[in-house]
Amino acid sequence: MQVSTKWLKDYIDIDLTADELAEKFTLAGIPVENVIHAGEGLEKVVTGRIEELKPHPDSDHLLICQMNVGAENLLQIITGASNVAEGQVVPVALVGANLPCGKKISKGKMRGVASNGMLCSADELNIEGDSSGIYILPDDTPVGVPAAEVLGLDDDILEFELTANRGDCFSVIGLVRELAVLTKKTPRFPEIKVDENDERETEKLVKIGIDAPDLCSRFSARVLTNVKLAPSPDWMVKRLEGAGMRAINNVVDVTNFVMLEMGQPLHAYDFDKVAWHQLTARRAVEGEPLHTLDDTNRLAKGGELVIADAEKAAGLAGIMGGFESEITEATKTVILEAACFNSASIRRTSRAVGIHTEASGRFERGTNINGTVAALDRVAQLLQDMGACNVTAGVVDVYPNPKPEIKIEFTTNKINQRLGTNYTDEEIISVLEALGFKIEPISKVDELTDEVVDKFASATKNIGKAARELGKKSNVENLVKNLGESLGGLFKSDNVKPSGVDDFFKGVSSTFGDAFKNLDMKISSAYEATVPDWRNDVTLPDDLSEEVARVYGFDKIPSTLPKGNQQGRQSATQDFIDRIKDILSGLGMCEELSFAFTSSAMFDKMKIPADSPLRQAIPIMNPLTDEAPLLRTNLLASVFENAARNFSRKNEDVRLFEVAPVFLPKALPVKELPIERQQVVGLLMGRREPKGWSQNPAQVDFYDAKGIVEELFAGLSINNYFVEAGTHYALHPGKTAVFKKGRDVLATVGEVNPAVAEALGIKKKIYVFEAEVETLQRFAAKKFSLESLPKYPSISRDLAILVEHDIAAGDVEKVIAKNGGTFFKGVTLFDVYTGERIAADKKSLAFAIEFRSNERTLKDEEADAAFKNILAAVEKDFGATLRS
Amino acid sequence: MEQQIKDLRLRAGEEIRSSATLKELDDVRVKVLGKKGELTGLLRGMSKLSAEERPIVGKLVNEARAEIEQLIADKNSELKAAELQAKLASERIDVTLPGRRVHDGHLHPLTLTLNRVKKIFVSMGYSVEEGPEVETDYYNFEALNLPKDHPARDMQDSFYITEEILLRTQTSPVQARTMERHKDNEPIRMIAPGRVYRRDDYDASHSPMFTQVEGLVIDKGISFADLKGTLEDFSKKIFGERTKIRLRPSFFPFTEPSAEVDVSCVMCHGAGCKVCQGTGWLEILGAGMVHPDVLKMSGYDPDEVSGFAFGMGIERIAMLTYGLDDMRLLYDNDVRFLKQF
Repeated sequence: MQVSTKWLKDYIDIDLTADELAEKFTLAGIPVENVIHAGEGLEKVVTGRIEELKPHPDSDHLLICQMNVGAENLLQIITGASNVAEGQVVPVALVGANLPCGKKISKGKMRGVASNGMLCSADELNIEGDSSGIYILPDDTPVGVPAAEVLGLDDDILEFELTANRGDCFSVIGLVRELAVLTKKTPRFPEIKVDENDERETEKLVKIGIDAPDLCSRFSARVLTNVKLAPSPDWMVKRLEGAGMRAINNVVDVTNFVMLEMGQPLHAYDFDKVAWHQLTARRAVEGEPLHTLDDTNRLAKGGELVIADAEKAAGLAGIMGGFESEITEATKTVILEAACFNSASIRRTSRAVGIHTEASGRFERGTNINGTVAALDRVAQLLQDMGACNVTAGVVDVYPNPKPEIKIEFTTNKINQRLGTNYTDEEIISVLEALGFKIEPISKVDELTDEVVDKFASATKNIGKAARELGKKSNVENLVKNLGESLGGLFKSDNVKPSGVDDFFKGVSSTFGDAFKNLDMKISSAYEATVPDWRNDVTLPDDLSEEVARVYGFDKIPSTLPKGNQQGRQSATQDFIDRIKDILSGLGMCEELSFAFTSSAMFDKMKIPADSPLRQAIPIMNPLTDEAPLLRTNLLASVFENAARNFSRKNEDVRLFEVAPVFLPKALPVKELPIERQQVVGLLMGRREPKGWSQNPAQVDFYDAKGIVEELFAGLSINNYFVEAGTHYALHPGKTAVFKKGRDVLATVGEVNPAVAEALGIKKKIYVFEAEVETLQRFAAKKFSLESLPKYPSISRDLAILVEHDIAAGDVEKVIAKNGGTFFKGVTLFDVYTGERIAADKKSLAFAIEFRSNERTLKDEEADAAFKNILAAVEKDFGATLRS
Repeated sequence: MEQQIKDLRLRAGEEIRSSATLKELDDVRVKVLGKKGELTGLLRGMSKLSAEERPIVGKLVNEARAEIEQLIADKNSELKAAELQAKLASERIDVTLPGRRVHDGHLHPLTLTLNRVKKIFVSMGYSVEEGPEVETDYYNFEALNLPKDHPARDMQDSFYITEEILLRTQTSPVQARTMERHKDNEPIRMIAPGRVYRRDDYDASHSPMFTQVEGLVIDKGISFADLKGTLEDFSKKIFGERTKIRLRPSFFPFTEPSAEVDVSCVMCHGAGCKVCQGTGWLEILGAGMVHPDVLKMSGYDPDEVSGFAFGMGIERIAMLTYGLDDMRLLYDNDVRFLKQF
């Protein structure tokens, strides 16, 4: 919705600039998205008459103009235009002007002759018109006045971005109504009067019917005769243009004007083109042809509401009229329709056919069902005023189930409670009444609030206490004073006169009365509000609270904090994920965040087998691009994509990780919510250390990635796992390790298969790991266990053995641990060697083995004995020989 | 004899002074004070002296020894200091060479921002709740008073999996799920952070996936003023004490009254700049009092309790905090970007 400020000012006297209006509307919940300052940049452009025109002495195309711009002296301006002549009035940009085209005007000389301004073309003023020369104004245009005024560019435009609930503000009158409340001014809306000057009765001329009362709740029509099609008057053209609509002819323009003015969309049919002069609102039949105003032939889906004549559909109801019954030069008689259609149905059809019109937008938000006849009358009135038609007698109005008035019971106390405010009944009621609500007090008393009950309870307790005092104190005066104090603000002690016990009791009872009166004040009064028929959005007391709050302004609402205390916390899983992220970032990994979308092309690149469940990804019905139509089933896809993007940008040292969910359907096609599983993945490639003059230039390898996983597990207190060679679809078959605990896989780590890396476009070795958060959490030690510091020294023995190449060091370690005896404390593999100094088919493994007793200092012989056992075991199990 | 001692003192003093190295100094010491040294020699010669002379000469010799020892000690520390000085001078390195670095890891700026937001609300007594990202139409829309064909559904174009299942467009479904889990009218104070999805074009200020934090407080007597105070408090904590907020009435189907919440521009503090497009305000939040229908649908009695809810985009807050002008940087995962946080 957009509207010019002048149109608003037609109906209300306000003295606000467009920007002030915008702010007022916006802060009352009617958002103005943009203010178009018409004539912006034309502040220093005035009208001027060319009094004298002489050729430039040093140029064959420049002219020297002496301009009358309403000032005492003529202004000399040089122009290069050829369409100027003495006596013409033209727009003149004065020195200092900053034109909409971007030109800035300053004093200057052209070929030695002073020029103090510029004569402007249409282009330079950013207006429509012939731009081949200077824009020539009518000869009788006054000189020295702002050009914007003469050009009709002095009207600022407000562009509203209305919320879905405020259909009533989709009209100038609706906006003015709001403005009147906000500025406390009285609007003056046009008086609608129709002269039914054609005696024929409308109901005898046309037949109107509703076959789908659920979709069309009211259909009103008038007939205009003797129609004279003509251009609309200037003032109407300006108002329409200000609202962003083009003028077409008086009949169409007036229906548009009234729609904008009153919010009721209207449609005009050529009476003679409507078969049997009969219009019915009915559901379309599937496949029924629809020839709409835009000269497009459609076939009905079936079920959408159409307005049909006796033979065919004559338009998509509320969206677009039909082609055949359109108003043309030949139109003599017009059927005017003002109806009320079901919002949801209009919205569905409008989306289905892809047509969004001014009319459909209004019906979608809901129109005022009680406004149809007034809108018809207004159209008739305006066209009659233009002398463009006669009006037949009466309105045909099909309105099977008149809408009942909406009444809302409310208490001002509830409104104040919801808002946290202290508005008085008068303040609340005056706002609602100004907005058009009718407010009636109702006798029903609202329930007592906790606050009042508490006050009353403590007041009566104090009365009891005070009464007991009576027995002790003979001085009534003291008692009364005491009573007054103890009862606080609930009632006044003046009523208790200190003149004896009888009077005291009388006083007390009347005071009780007062107390109740006071309580009455506190007990909020109940009212009934009748909602004005243009407000479809207000149905609940809570809606009323919003009306009060927005009119007084949200800035008037106090700031408080919720009472009471609650313990804040996050879940154990959240804490666990935070820990994973902290540990991995501490290990030099950068956290990535990626979209959850992927594609089967990515699955191909990753070499996910055709029959893998990972291929069972959930397709999105309406993906943003066809390149990513699936929900990811694994997080490796994401980290691969990011690595590839980095590699393509020459970021070759990459260490990324991510913790995020993947989506695994229970079945395809999807019937129920999928399983969402949090995964953690990491990727390493490039240098082991950052590039530097004294840094290790080596590239990362498998053991860097494995080390990260080991450190992660240590940080998460995951212990006693084992690692074995494994397989993974995307990894190098000889460089894949699986971390396990029993049968559960904790993590997989390995070098990315070079074929996968190549498919990803990464010409580098890549190492990745992946794990499931839930599994990690399951095996993370719940309790912290401290290992006490050793009291006695340990003894270390080095074991260097030669074994066959395919013996796994991990297996050797297991055997060492198993055969280490009671004093065995740990083993560290500190060297692996293959090469010239040993046999070609062997590798050397060197372990440092630690022995310690917790009770005493260990003897060398004891360590030696254990070492012997170990040696015997590895010799036996692996055919190992001591390296000499 | 006295003269000899005097001469020795002078000569030794001279030699000590002229020693250039510790070695030379030590030679002097040996020559004068050593077992076969000159002073020792003089002492030895004392036996030839008379009983009257001995104590006098003995005293002189002792004085001479003390003086020479002192001179040697002084010279010794002087030479040692000089020697250390020379050694240190020779060890000078180029301190401008870069230090030895390790790879530095970083949390994502959105994680950092979300952590700050979570911390603020947890300290205010909010629990952190989560829910599925693939949701039913019921929880995502209908339980929030957004029936099918509601025009407000246009505000959020969704990614659908089936007619009834979609990628959640907001984290509000977590609110409905949390309310259902609670006993009747039990107070709630929660935030729901998480990824949400909308079918928006991917540009400098839109992303098909982004991060939202929604909050919900339900209790007896919760008012719009409580909402305002809470958001004011939060805004000051996240953007600084000088921050002001402004509430503009708006419309959301799940709240009534509803408000768009602006904070005073974090760059210009309200004076008007490029970031706030000259308005002095930045829109960061939507909020309101929970609609009674929403309470009812999840088993709460709107006559007994009331509540407020709010929602904010973490991307927006991160962009303001770190001065980013393009949202796409956040999902681009360029390591040169990630390493700056």
